[in-house]
Formats: sequence, C-alpha cells, structure tokens
Amino acid sequence: MKKTLNINIGNSIIHIEEDAYELLTTYLIEVKQHFGKSADDFEIVSDIENRIAEMFTEILHTQQKQVIELEDVQVVIGLMGSVKDFEEQSEEDPAADYNNAYSSAFAERKIYRDTDDAMVAGVCAGLSHYLKMDVSIIRIVAALSVMLGGSGLIAYLVLWIAIPKAATRAERMAMKGEAANLQGFKRSFEEELSNLKDNLKNANEHLRPFVKHSGNFITEFITILGTFLQGSGKIIFKFIAIILLLIGSVLLLSDFVALASILGIWYSGAIQVFPFNIVNGSYLTILSVASFFTIAIPLLGVILLSIRVAFNSRPIHQMLSYGLLLTWLCALSVGIFFSAKIGTEFKEEANFTQTLPLKTYPVYTLEIDKTMFFSKEDSIQYRLNSTDFIGKIIQKDPQRSSAAPRNVTIRIEKSEGNVPVLVQSYSSQGRDFAMALNHAKNIRYDFVQQDSLLKFGPEVHLKKNEYWRDQHIEVVVKLPVGTKLRITKNLERYLNNYSLWDCDEENFADDKYQGVMTEEGLKCQIEKK
Amino acid sequence: MIAENTQTQMRKGILEYCVLLIISRGEIYASDIIAELKSAKLLVVEGTLYPLLTRLKNNGLLSYNWVESTSGPPRKYYTLTPLGTAMLAQLDGTWQELSFAIEKSKNHTNP
Repeated sequence: MKKTLNINIGNSIIHIEEDAYELLTTYLIEVKQHFGKSADDFEIVSDIENRIAEMFTEILHTQQKQVIELEDVQVVIGLMGSVKDFEEQSEEDPAADYNNAYSSAFAERKIYRDTDDAMVAGVCAGLSHYLKMDVSIIRIVAALSVMLGGSGLIAYLVLWIAIPKAATRAERMAMKGEAANLQGFKRSFEEELSNLKDNLKNANEHLRPFVKHSGNFITEFITILGTFLQGSGKIIFKFIAIILLLIGSVLLLSDFVALASILGIWYSGAIQVFPFNIVNGSYLTILSVASFFTIAIPLLGVILLSIRVAFNSRPIHQMLSYGLLLTWLCALSVGIFFSAKIGTEFKEEANFTQTLPLKTYPVYTLEIDKTMFFSKEDSIQYRLNSTDFIGKIIQKDPQRSSAAPRNVTIRIEKSEGNVPVLVQSYSSQGRDFAMALNHAKNIRYDFVQQDSLLKFGPEVHLKKNEYWRDQHIEVVVKLPVGTKLRITKNLERYLNNYSLWDCDEENFADDKYQGVMTEEGLKCQIEKK
Repeated sequence: MIAENTQTQMRKGILEYCVLLIISRGEIYASDIIAELKSAKLLVVEGTLYPLLTRLKNNGLLSYNWVESTSGPPRKYYTLTPLGTAMLAQLDGTWQELSFAIEKSKNHTNP
C-alpha cells in the first residue's frame, strides 16, 4: 500500500504515488532553476510540464493504470532529459554557475538524525553519517558510555533534542553529504528501491507517518520507545531476561539453602547469633517457612516471566499462578503476624542500676578485654568441662557477633565524693515491664578490676534461651578529681562523646590515651599549647 | 573534451536548421518533431527541444496554435512564420556552402 496524491500538471489531474511525486517535484524544481535565468523560463517550463502531463496520460492509458508510479516518473525524466543534458545544449550556459553553486551548497554535510537507520532515535546513525564513521563503532561507544555511569544516556537525550531529524529527502541527502540534485535523488531512490527489496519491513517503518509528521519530541519519544520495545529493544529485553533468569535461579537456590540451614542450625541448638536470636524458638520454624515462601514466590514469578520473555514461551496455567499468589499472600500474612508478635516484645523498656565500688588508685588503666570468662552456664552451652580450662585463658573472637547492634556504652564521669565507683545500668525491652526487667536481669556482663587495671567486656552475654530484646548496658566509671587515666585505643568505640584523639601527641604513650579527671570532667593530661 | 565541444557546436547549428526544416513541411506538434529528430539521431532527450523552440518563437521564426487533443491537454502545433521561411532559405544557402566546404576539404585532404 502506498499513499497517492492528486496533482494538477499541465491542466491534467494525475494520481501519483508519494515517492514518485517527490522525484517529480525535485525534477521540476531543478528544471525551473536551470531555466531561471532566462526570461522565457515560464514558457519552457510549462511546455515541459505539458509534455510530462501528456506522457503520464499516455502511460496511464496504454498501461491501463490508475496511478503514476516511481518507475514511470523515472522513464519520463529519462525521455525528457536531465538538467545535465540541457546544459550541453544550452548556448550561453548562464545557469551552469548558478546550478553548481546550488549543488555545492547542498553537498556540504549536515548533521541530522537518521530515523531510517535508527536503533532508538537515529542519533548514532546521524553521527556516523556526519563523522563518516561506521555506525556500529559509534553505537558500541555510546553503549559503553551509557554503562559508564549513564553519562551517555544524558548525552544521547541532549543530542536527540538538539539534532533535527532528517525528515525530507533533501535533508536525508544533506546528511549523507550527497548533492541535492537529480543525480543524488536518483541515487537515493535506487538505494531505497534496493532497500525495499531487501527489507519490506524497514520500508514500512520509514514510511510510518510519525517519522514525517511528528514534530513534538514527547510524541516522537513515546512512538520511538514503542518501536524500540518491539524491535531492537526486544533483543535487549531478552538479554536482560536471561540475566534475570540466572540471578533469579541463583537467589531461589540460596533461598532453599538458607531455609535448610536455618532449620538445621536451629535444631542443632546452636543459634545464638544476631539476628536469629530475636525470634522465639517456638516461632522459628513457621517464620522461616513463611519467609521462605514470601521470598521464593516472587523470585519464581521473575524466573517464569524471564523465561517467557527470553524464549517466547506460553504463560503458565492460570490456576497455578493464582495458587502461587494465594500461597504468597498466606506466607506473607503468617510472616507479618509473627513479626508483629515479636514486635510487641519490644513494647516496654526496663532498667536497673548496680553500683560497684572500685579500689582507689591514682592512675587507672581502662581496656577492653576480649578474654572470655567461663561461667558454669557457658561450659554447659559449649559442652566443655570447665575444670579442664582452669588457669587457661580463652580468646573470644571479637568479630563473632559484629552484626548485632553495640550493646555496651562506657562513660567516664567525675564522682561525687572522693570514692571511685562503677555504675552498671542494665536495660532491656519486653512485652511488659516485668518481662523487660526479667530480660535485663538475665544480662551478664564481664567487668574485672585487677589492681589499677579496669577490664571491660566487649559485649553483654545473654543467658541460655534468652532472645535478643535490645539488651544493653551502660557502664559509668565515676572517678575522683585528679585521677589519671590510661585508656587503650580499642575502648574508644565504646565511649560516648569523648573525642580522645583531639589531644596533642604527647598525650599518647603505648597506644594509650592519657587523661585526667578535672572538675569539668575528663581532660587531656597535657593541655594544648 | 575539445572534440566534444566542437561536436556540440556543430550539432547546435544543425539542430536548429533541422527543426526549421521539419516544421517547414507543415504544422507539427513538438513531440512529433522530437520523434523525427530521434529517428535522425540528432536529439536524445525532449527537454532540450523546448528551450530551442521557445527561442526560435521569440525570434519571430515560429508561431504556434493551441489544438485540442483527444488524449490529454491541448497541444502546441508549430508553424513557420514568413520570417522563419526566409531564415530557412538563408540557412539552405548556408548549408550548401558548408557541405561544399566540407566536400572540398575532404577531397583536398584525402586525394
């Protein structure tokens, strides 16, 4: 199917196809330009037009056709002769210079977007014509620049808006650096004809009305997005789908592994690690299964969709998809129910304070001690005979529960009176105050004074079968004015609001900060100069 | 290039002469002139004829009548004016001279 136009040429009404019309118009314009210098141009041109009209009528009559096609125009132009033929015959040749100037002006390469050869909006194709480079090189560079932080995407959009598209044939030829004369046009027609034979679909696309008529960027954007999704975008989507399929499969597999290992570890009774110790033991199985489904079903959905996109397979059975959706909703509800239930266990907070006296020394050394103090409970938990370890120190791996929020805070304050004391404030959350207080009571914290050395435990310990309820401890060291302190570096992260390392370098010895308690609180031992 | 140029010059003059000759035989339509010139292998494309006809007409050598056509738009039928006839007579004389000159030159160069 082709669009036809009605033209009035030499007082005859002729039906003509659009492409044929374009060629004819170009030809007549060229003829007019050629004869433009002479005063008789109107007569000559109308003679030529009349003759063309007559030829068309003859063609329509003899070939029993309704409409003039591109080939007919080419035949007529062949009979009538091109401007080049006229030049040979014309006497004084005044038009030649003019004509050459006209041609050379248009032979200059101009930048346009090539919507005929476009992957998206023809920016790359246009650039390739302008820079005389292969379009695939520019496309690869463009794709790389998009991947490198997306700068290419912005550049592409800017160029898209800035560069006009080659809408008319003359613009398309200026884009390719061809002279906009009849020879050039013939060439572009021949190219198009061969393209037509090669790829009918392409030609249809290029004849699409939006390429010719839409001036608006937004409409063009949307239309091109549409064709992009159908055409070259499809390949990209398939690629993405395959990647998603792989990622989804790996995630689904890890989901299975996670479920199996959580249940396995749980039943081996060794799950004392944050965040699993939040969950009450009786809920853990059902909550794990529910979370498993909550994660697995959307993953399955992504995988199925990816398979559909990548391999054009049919959608899964409707009942199956509804079943999956229902299962997911159930799992999600169960998950939310138990999460909410656990959430209520954080409703109330309780804390209690315990004050320990400290032996008085003029200088204290404060450090975090990572050695483990084996209680009777611990030895049961670890299934060790505690007597085997008497006199031996067990180093606890400080990284073990790094996922848990820090639950020890240390403050250093001036003591009222001249007695050094240690105030330990235990607190916890719970369903109600009694529960919270009970949880706080079940906190075990290691603090030891060895002469002037104060050893703080790095974290609180929960007694066996205790769940994580945001148990934490605040340790306040209250020291009389004038007491000197040696604070090891590893203690700093437990200290609130003391920027120890602001002091001058003289305050550091053996990696210890040297401070002194004053009336205004903790100070650098050696004042800043 | 030089040969081409000379050929073009020769053709131009002779083309004009032939057109006048063809028209002198009676009222004739442009495309019939072209058909004759084509068969005489003097003209290849139609487009070149129209400027020539227009120039001859403007010089007062030709005139034309519009004649209704059965198959399409009205046609211009050309005839010679008295001035054209006189011009043709002059050209006849010139052609005699030229053909004599050529004959003479050929015989002279190729004895």
